[in-house]
Amino acid sequence: MTEITKPNETSLRLQRTYDAPAEDVFDAWTNPEVLRRWWKANPAWITPVAEVDLRVGGRYRISMEDPESGKKYTAEGEYSEVSRPTRLVYSWQWEQEDGELGHPSTVAVDFRSEGELTTVVLEHTGFESLESRDSHGHGWEGVLEAFQTHLNERAAQTS
Amino acid sequence: MANNALLDRTFVACSHPIRRGILERLAGGEMTVGEATGDFGVSKPAISKHLKLLEEAGAITRVIDGRTHRLRLREQPLDEAYAWMTNQRELWERKLDTVDQYLREQRKHQQPQQGAPQQENNPAKESK
Repeated sequence: MTEITKPNETSLRLQRTYDAPAEDVFDAWTNPEVLRRWWKANPAWITPVAEVDLRVGGRYRISMEDPESGKKYTAEGEYSEVSRPTRLVYSWQWEQEDGELGHPSTVAVDFRSEGELTTVVLEHTGFESLESRDSHGHGWEGVLEAFQTHLNERAAQTS
Repeated sequence: MANNALLDRTFVACSHPIRRGILERLAGGEMTVGEATGDFGVSKPAISKHLKLLEEAGAITRVIDGRTHRLRLREQPLDEAYAWMTNQRELWERKLDTVDQYLREQRKHQQPQQGAPQQENNPAKESK
């Protein structure tokens, strides 16, 4: 139904079509209420922080917490492109246990209008820090998956 | 922190087709350096560089047996990189689901009874 562009070699790529206008999908994507609902590993968890400063150079920060263990998972980043209702680009960093930020990666979200429908294409890229430029060919995500399959087979053989 | 740096190195290790090729070969079992790196059509120094990156990432280890160097895959860093990717993908899947659910609720609020025409208002501003 939607054309599939060639995914970047070091990316996660997801796509979903909604029965809603692009403006609504775009607004929902960045709505703190939606972030709070999304950002919990299960319903018992709490989301003490869901902040969004939606403008180029603005930051977002979301934090979820397991009330039993007190363990927290926080992600944050900065918006580098805010083009309502077509495109949104932001950096993504996990906060480490020592409070430092992890390696930044990039999330690009395209909102494509098709009549009444809107297709969201999300690409999360840049996990490796050094060498993305000299890499070509197919993705390492595939390699990791092939590798995992291999491990599973081996586990099945030895058990 | 250390863990995160190791993950970065694993992703780097997997980011080049030749290194992926070496890992794929080694997934089948231990090999000599020659077996694992032959036929890629690149120079020895280039191969050495790739092997060094793979070793730094902890993705392979070198077993020296007299004059023979054998390479072996180490599973843990690749396992962790795989788990990281899987978690991240699941997070985005859940975000796509949450947006879907939210949009459906908005639609219901705006079309209380029978088939009202297209909604125009911006529903994202207030949700409760």
